[in-house]
Amino acid sequence: MSTKSKPLLAADRVRLYLTLVPYLLEHGQVSLEEAAAEFGVTPHEMRGMVEKLTVIGLPGEAGYWQQPQEMFDINWDLLDLEDVIEITNDVALRRVPRFTAREAAALLAGLQMVAAVPAVSDSGLVAGLISKLSRGAADAPADVVVAPSAVDEVREAVARGLHEGVAIAFTYQAPDAAPTTRTVDPMQILITNGQWYLQGWCHLRQAMRTFHLDRVSAPTLTEIPITHGGDQVPEAFAGLDDERAVTVRVAERIAPLLSGFVPTGAADVIGGSVTTQLHLADPRGIKRLAARFGGAMEVLEPGVARSATRDWAASGLALYRQPEAEV
Amino acid sequence: MAARIPAEERLTNLVVALMATEIGLTKQQILDNVSGYRQRAEAGTRSDALEKMFERDKEELRSLGVPIETIGDAADPNDLREARYRIPQAEYDLPSDIEFSPAELAVLQLAGSVWSAESVSGDAQSGVRKIRALGIDGDEPIIGFAPRITARDAAFSPLQDAIERCKVVAFEYLKPGEDAPRRRRIRPLALVDYEARWHVFGVDVDAEGDRTFLLSRIVGDVRVSSQSFDPALRDGAGDRALAGLALVASENSALLEITPGTEAALRLGRRATSAAQGINVPFVDLHILADELASYGPEVRVVEPAPLREAVISRLRAVVDIHTDVEEAK
Repeated sequence: MSTKSKPLLAADRVRLYLTLVPYLLEHGQVSLEEAAAEFGVTPHEMRGMVEKLTVIGLPGEAGYWQQPQEMFDINWDLLDLEDVIEITNDVALRRVPRFTAREAAALLAGLQMVAAVPAVSDSGLVAGLISKLSRGAADAPADVVVAPSAVDEVREAVARGLHEGVAIAFTYQAPDAAPTTRTVDPMQILITNGQWYLQGWCHLRQAMRTFHLDRVSAPTLTEIPITHGGDQVPEAFAGLDDERAVTVRVAERIAPLLSGFVPTGAADVIGGSVTTQLHLADPRGIKRLAARFGGAMEVLEPGVARSATRDWAASGLALYRQPEAEV
Repeated sequence: MAARIPAEERLTNLVVALMATEIGLTKQQILDNVSGYRQRAEAGTRSDALEKMFERDKEELRSLGVPIETIGDAADPNDLREARYRIPQAEYDLPSDIEFSPAELAVLQLAGSVWSAESVSGDAQSGVRKIRALGIDGDEPIIGFAPRITARDAAFSPLQDAIERCKVVAFEYLKPGEDAPRRRRIRPLALVDYEARWHVFGVDVDAEGDRTFLLSRIVGDVRVSSQSFDPALRDGAGDRALAGLALVASENSALLEITPGTEAALRLGRRATSAAQGINVPFVDLHILADELASYGPEVRVVEPAPLREAVISRLRAVVDIHTDVEEAK
């Protein structure tokens, strides 16, 4: 569960109460820490929420306070002495509420996304879950649709290696490099922006690497059990030690498109354009990204990256030059 | 002056009160008795201010999925002075015949983890939490896969809101190659992630036809109007949108020549069919394909269609121009 915390709005707190009460009633005694982790708040916030629960109750009659049995109550000693939550009197909210349209939509779209994951598609559970989520929603969720992505032979083989815990051997064709044969302990398959990546321990490089599966061919499962499976999976596209910085300038309005590359806060904004640094193993590799931006990205430094970008585009342009004879 | 009761306390008390009543409570009963309103009334807050607060609270709770039923005067349904309000338990509770197995919860936990946008991720987590509150513990988490969906377009959230509430929206839309954005009004029906880009599918009010727009080309704010449309339009909208995009892709094809063994050959080859001279690649948006083709530099040459060839040429020329230093210029 999420451990990140941001200030809770009143609506967030109400939403939390509506699920917290049935959760606590179902689980009996729950430690403050466990409940806080479950609901993605700090233990301090959770304590405050639970203490506040005791002022919630049925409406009073004008001129009278509510009777104790008309209010929620908790086991105060248990909370104060042992940091454990237990509801001792409940007046409503006993049942888990329906999903909001937003909750259902977020999960439905997520389901379509994970349907391509072999462990999920093999389970045959997706269709049933879609119907349960739709039926369990308070209001009709907006259609948030994720177009299915095909699972090809490479994706399947890599997933199988991951599942069976064996290293995978394959040919890897990195851009602007000769093909290499790699043996990799698979650790994670990252699916983002419609692309599949394998993250794992590369036997050749003796280091963690991320491989774009479009560049993988002839995958075979080895019989080598993986030795790096329990390691921390690196941040996707985390900088390698030997990477070099490339300084680029883009219009501010398209800067968000670089968010996958740039560590936040590293950009200088001047007069509507953003100057920032990207990190690449070979600075000349920037030519592909820069060309994709069609002139909206200028490579400033180093010079070798700048000239590589110009030459790249110029040689592409040369393909369209009419033969002299036709002029 | 009475101590200020926080909004969440008043709102939660209101839910409890409306759930506990079978016949419903009148607005006056709520304002007089529910903790949070009662204290304000006693402290002398004007009743019209309290009534407004109650209206806002009702909306807030409805947005949290809490169904608040209004029981009007049988003789005159439009007369809300004596209306009673209640939360019907059957519509509030997650239906008891919906059960989730530990394996299903494990799948949903993975599904809930895909969102990188904080607000959507919060919604997904909150949905998963409701299932866990039923007392279900998931199977071992599905590990080894990290699917991610990004939704960083600012238009995403207001469009989703408008779809939920069946409201017409207006926005400025800038097509590539056009000088100025054009105002579009649509009945939004579905959000579609196609080739890793978010699109909104809907009915263009002015053109009276189905249209699909790229969120990244929406300029400025999406304005949600008060004008409603028939919710039935939303039925099956996601499937219609996907079918529409697939149709466009089947009708648009680029003939390309690629250098074997290159990045272009690898990436384009996966979605291409071979042609007599080169390969055919289907596409839905000429400008997005042109961006990609430009990135391959000399690894690919566009044979046709001509507009795509021109689009790639102009991109490559712009790249050359911006990287040509003045002293060595033409």
